[in-house]
Amino acid sequence: MESLIANLQAQLPSGHRIVTISFSLKHSFSLEAGLVQEWIRTNRLLVLVENSTESALLIYIVSKNVADEFSLERTIPLDTEFKCEIDTASANIVTTDIFLKLSRKKVHLLFEMLPGFKANKFVDEVVKASEVANKKRAPPNFSWLEVYNPQLVWESTTGSDSEQPTSAATELQPSSQNCHDAIPAHLNHKSDSELSSPDVTAHRSSIATGGATPIAARESVVRYQMALRETAYTDLRQISIFLGTYNVNGQPPTSGLADWLSVDKDPPDIYAVGFQELDLSKEAFLFNETPREEEWLRAVIRGLHPKGKYRKVKLVRLVGMMLIVFIQEKHWAYVRGVASEFVGTGLMGKMGNKGGVAIRLDLHNSSLCFVNSHLAAHTEEVERRNQDYLDICNRLVFSTTFPSKAIKDHDQVFWIGDLNYRLSGDLDLLRVKDLLDQSNYQALLQYDQFRAQHAARKIFVGYQEGPILFRPSYKYDPGTDNWDTSEKNRAPAWCDRCLWKGDNVQFKEYRSHPGLRMSDHKPVSCLLECGVKIIDTVRYRRIYEEVMKKLDKLENEFLPQVSVDSTEINFGNVAFNEGATKILTVANTGQVPVQYEFIKKHRDSKYCKPWLACEPYTGFLMPGDNSYITLEILVDKRTAWSLNSGLDELYDILVLHLDGGKDIFITVSGNYQKSCFGCSIEALIQMHQPIAQVAPETVCQLEKAAYPSIDPGNDSDSKQPVLAVPKELWFLLDELYRRGMDTPGLFEQPGLSTEIAAIRKTLDESLPDTLPGSVHSVAESLLIFLETLKEPIIPFSLTQKALDGCGAFPSCKTVYSCLPLSHQHVFKHIISFLKEVLLHSSKNGLDAKTLVALFGSALIRLPPPNYPLGPSISLSLNQPHLDRKRCMFIHHFLVNDLDD
Amino acid sequence: MSAGPYNYSYIFKYIIIGDMGVGKSCLLHQFTEKKFMADCPHTIGVEFGTRIIEVAGQKIKLQIWDTAGQERFRAVTRSYYRGAAGALLVYDITRRSTYNHLSSWLSDARNLTNPNTVIFLIGNKSDLEAQRDVTYEEAKQFADENELLFIEASAKTGDNVEDAFLETAKKIYQNIQDGSLDLNAAESGVQHKPLQPGRNQPQNQPNPTKEGCAC
Ligand SMILES: Nc1nc2c(ncn2[C@@H]2O[C@H](COP(=O)(O)OP(=O)(O)OP(=O)(O)O)[C@@H](O)[C@H]2O)c(=O)[nH]1
Ligand SMILES: [Mg+2]
Repeated sequence: MESLIANLQAQLPSGHRIVTISFSLKHSFSLEAGLVQEWIRTNRLLVLVENSTESALLIYIVSKNVADEFSLERTIPLDTEFKCEIDTASANIVTTDIFLKLSRKKVHLLFEMLPGFKANKFVDEVVKASEVANKKRAPPNFSWLEVYNPQLVWESTTGSDSEQPTSAATELQPSSQNCHDAIPAHLNHKSDSELSSPDVTAHRSSIATGGATPIAARESVVRYQMALRETAYTDLRQISIFLGTYNVNGQPPTSGLADWLSVDKDPPDIYAVGFQELDLSKEAFLFNETPREEEWLRAVIRGLHPKGKYRKVKLVRLVGMMLIVFIQEKHWAYVRGVASEFVGTGLMGKMGNKGGVAIRLDLHNSSLCFVNSHLAAHTEEVERRNQDYLDICNRLVFSTTFPSKAIKDHDQVFWIGDLNYRLSGDLDLLRVKDLLDQSNYQALLQYDQFRAQHAARKIFVGYQEGPILFRPSYKYDPGTDNWDTSEKNRAPAWCDRCLWKGDNVQFKEYRSHPGLRMSDHKPVSCLLECGVKIIDTVRYRRIYEEVMKKLDKLENEFLPQVSVDSTEINFGNVAFNEGATKILTVANTGQVPVQYEFIKKHRDSKYCKPWLACEPYTGFLMPGDNSYITLEILVDKRTAWSLNSGLDELYDILVLHLDGGKDIFITVSGNYQKSCFGCSIEALIQMHQPIAQVAPETVCQLEKAAYPSIDPGNDSDSKQPVLAVPKELWFLLDELYRRGMDTPGLFEQPGLSTEIAAIRKTLDESLPDTLPGSVHSVAESLLIFLETLKEPIIPFSLTQKALDGCGAFPSCKTVYSCLPLSHQHVFKHIISFLKEVLLHSSKNGLDAKTLVALFGSALIRLPPPNYPLGPSISLSLNQPHLDRKRCMFIHHFLVNDLDD
Repeated sequence: MSAGPYNYSYIFKYIIIGDMGVGKSCLLHQFTEKKFMADCPHTIGVEFGTRIIEVAGQKIKLQIWDTAGQERFRAVTRSYYRGAAGALLVYDITRRSTYNHLSSWLSDARNLTNPNTVIFLIGNKSDLEAQRDVTYEEAKQFADENELLFIEASAKTGDNVEDAFLETAKKIYQNIQDGSLDLNAAESGVQHKPLQPGRNQPQNQPNPTKEGCAC
């Protein structure tokens, strides 16, 4: 949610501040003229924005197929004509939902919202904003809304007839091209900072409105009680699910897929089809662009069961991993909450050559999640595969759903992919082939790494797999059914698997499809019968009333009470990029269920400082139960500088709020160990000692002096730098010059986090002759060092100029000449280093493309959304575009000589 | 919804503020439970209490927020002032420092609440006459100068505790009657009748296609 808001906010003109947002279903849409009257329920995102004293609602269409794509449908100024009511009458449909009726002049809109704290908060804010508008003396001036819809001109209205920014034409064509142009529709790019846990913040509407919190508490109690009784009012309906996974080894679909996708008699209700290694090209890896997506999608559609009529629910792809979910048309009306996410686990924990992609949906009253993953390769890399799996579990969170959901938060999870587990290495290849010739799979499966890790409960705890009665899906000579005869002579393995978790899942089929010979893998599929929960409305109503009665009794007798095991949490010493966690125990010591939540303090944008996160930040506790909240502290590149400069400190007071009851303050503190990572070049070149030996106050002063605009009082005499380039940079480059130039996989193979930490510690505490760790760890440390600099080598003020000028070397050189002297030195050093690396490319295997892509994003970065420079970056710049321009810029310097 | 449990026609929000240890939590406890807590721990947060009282024949539900007095929490507790109809400002008559800090508390209360918020000054621990450090007259004069209602009370014996809470409510009610407190103002701290059904409660009907719970 928070990242969604930040994302949206970043796209609005400055001065337009998002107050709150809410998802809803638009239920009906009507003009008084009676021209349109429809009952299509499509998702909408309502955004309340304010600009100085005025507010407006922006209504975005959330595409049903691509849940994270938004386009602006209309804007509604909150003026004296605007009305907002909660509609209780129009509930001719049986529902617990809140109906929000918005009207202004001839426009009437009805929105359906899930009841709850969030919906209440949203409605409260809208009501408040319209109250403000009604009280306002000054004439309304909503000309600021024109930017959203440039065609329409705001006229200050005195006569009530004149049309307002929402003209009739737009009314009838809600998603007119205009709106698309005004707001870039793609919000689906994730920056790495968003990969951290989603934060949702809550307002304390109770404080603002002066009361009635016990009623708010009631809702969560009702929902909980209803969930407990779910089986009493739901029935199961059987649906069939086809899971298919195929590592296509970068090949295009040269033959049909029916032999894989429609081999069963009856058409499955749902298809989840996953691919790996869809495209092995550099473009796909670096820019996440590939024509294969479309080619394989078409091939899949052609291969679906001919007796079923299917609709694509969603497609998600990260580099070579793609997942597509289809559902039979007849079920489509019962599908909600479609969302997709991805997690990369490759180099620097984010490159997308390995990782997972996932799609979730609610079908009737059940939540389903499909995951397709490609884990680390090679027989000996079992631990890395396990780690990849855990990373995906921990980091993959669907943030567009309410509340945000992780994989584990679903009733049923289906996990497919090239998990890459092999037969353990001590097995002789001839013996393997011998056993395979006898079709003695059971004997071989004793050596299956997956089975061993699964049995040891290291991975996929709680997941099940069907019996394996088919030949290993890997590795064949492409075009044949023969085992690999290439030089590498890989041993056969069941790399490609299908797993599931959850109640009411019945196994039907598990097989491979050797008839498809395009790849060195064979596709695998699994057919399951799953019970999906469907509500019986009559029983639901009866039970709902029982719950309400019981609660009525309790509510006036008791207030929520909890105790926490500690109100002061001290993390001790905290180092850069090294997370630490503490557990806070919350016990419900009262007599009623408690809904708790960390809430944000007045004027703060989040419930805690950015270096802290609480998981879960909200929860529900029955009397006598305990809840364990993990507080995680992590100082990374976003926050390191503010701590180095003393603008922030590791101290925060969290407010743990009980719905309908008291608040508890939790004081969190720690002692940050200043690091050379997350400093500015300007400060680093003033320190000839390791940073740990510099007094913390001195570091603060140096950092503040580097940014006089932040602390104008600190106008200390700008000293002559004592170093030409930061010594830490010099140490890193030197180490690579000496050890790394001929290392294969340089800058492509990820380092180890423990070694990277050791390298950082060495740089912080000493003037080392050598650095610890492997070459890969040193290389990754270098990239991290550059990425975490307070300002990139190309400062934010020149980002735009660099990107604009990337077409030709002279303009790039001009940018170089505008750099501060210290940045010029650093830039020059790095360029000559890169040139040297390329001279050794026959040994290290690196090419210029990869190198410029890696260093481009480290040397040229977009300013953070709230950066004070004034946004000079054009909003239309999408990620691949940006990446290409950065690459071009750097590339010029590699092929030209700076001193010419 | 039946009107049963909500048989009151107003909700008033109160806050209790003042230095640590002056007896804020004890006053709240005495008022809601009619008991004295001899060893009450420091409040680390904001406690919540509620009681229904009667003023001029009207049932009024008081929602009382008792804040932490420790200085380090001051920045956080300030956010609870918003929308209070009444503020009980407490000092300890046996500790002069708590009295000396009143002007700072008062300026917070004035700045962060609306102009109609009724501020009531309470000199607590009146049972400890022997240790008195602040005279009644002196405090009375401070109250008059700043147009505060004033009383000395004891959370221990219960002396005047009831009065402080009730007098505050009476004054708020009076302000409503004579129109000086606008109930429609966003932060009046007063609600007439409980919230409308629908705005904060689910309607009494199920939705056939929604998930029951996310827990
Ligand atoms: N004799 C006497 N003692 C009192 C009275 N009121 C409170 N106390 C004692 O004073 C101490 C502090 O009282 P609390 O109610 O916890 O004080 P507080 O203002 O809530 O303090 P914080 O929560 O830290 O802000 C406790 O030990 C009480 O027993 C009183 O009227 N008379
Ligand atoms: Mg207290």
